[in-house]
Amino acid sequence: MTYQIGGRDLRSRFFIGSGKLPSYRIIPEMVEKAGVEVITVAVRRINPETKQENIMDCIPDHCVIMVNTSGARNAGEAVRIARIGRELTGSDWIKIEVETDAKYLLPDNEETLKATEILVGEGFRVFPYISPDLVMAKKLEKAGAAAVMPLAAPIGTNKGITCAALLKPIINEIEIPVIIDAGIGRPSHAAEAMELGADAVLANTAIATAPDPVTMAVAMAKAVEAGRMAFEMGLLAEKEFADASSPLTGFLRRIE
Amino acid sequence: MIKLNGTETPYRETIGELLSENHYEMKKIAVLVNGEIVKRENWPVFVLKPGDEVDVVTFVGGG
Repeated sequence: MTYQIGGRDLRSRFFIGSGKLPSYRIIPEMVEKAGVEVITVAVRRINPETKQENIMDCIPDHCVIMVNTSGARNAGEAVRIARIGRELTGSDWIKIEVETDAKYLLPDNEETLKATEILVGEGFRVFPYISPDLVMAKKLEKAGAAAVMPLAAPIGTNKGITCAALLKPIINEIEIPVIIDAGIGRPSHAAEAMELGADAVLANTAIATAPDPVTMAVAMAKAVEAGRMAFEMGLLAEKEFADASSPLTGFLRRIE
Repeated sequence: MIKLNGTETPYRETIGELLSENHYEMKKIAVLVNGEIVKRENWPVFVLKPGDEVDVVTFVGGG
């Protein structure tokens, strides 16, 4: 079943980041086997002696390219990277990632909001990467963001959903899609994010640094699908005490 | 001199000349002069000034 995000109809709710991959050449297989439709890329300076394969040659045509502004330290730099991205790809999907904190790579929500306001005005589909803050998510929604991308844990930490109590209010209270991004280290984390009601999940490190990135991408994609299915069906409430699943009559007890 | 990707490089009159002189493959790159994008079609005619900062960028893997 398709859903709408950033003006597109997509099937897959699993987005991948392309950083740290052992080779860009595995991207087509990964995309195909895991059914991926959205992939992020970053912009960097290139020197002529760099004869590395170009990532753009490895991304299948049907994929939506989401340019990531990682490396930007403020709104102005993020806006510049977004414009470069559009110039190079023609894609108007931009993930705003603004960080000044090198240790935890936590996003600067305030600069992210500024960049979002500018880029929405320029016709971009803006996907801001944020710390899970409902008030900020509401401001971004009002500014015209296509979705919000709250983190589950700091980038690359594989810690999973560390702040469900902060993510759930965002999922509950805003209308635009919520993509849980960063910190997803295992398929179970991805499933948990989807069970919470996220519209999609983005993972990068967990896939790219796995012994076999293609297999991990497939495992994540299955988990995302499973979590979504369960969410749509409706999850059952937790109970304090046991509730037997076998009948409580007709036991084979010896009569004394 | 021109600052090309942060390094002092001999002056060339246009972006096109600067790129070919420095052996850039022209496809899949974008060029910024003093932080502003210059469209590909203008590279052969865009005249640089000494001291201009030129950045040549492309896409890489990233999350």
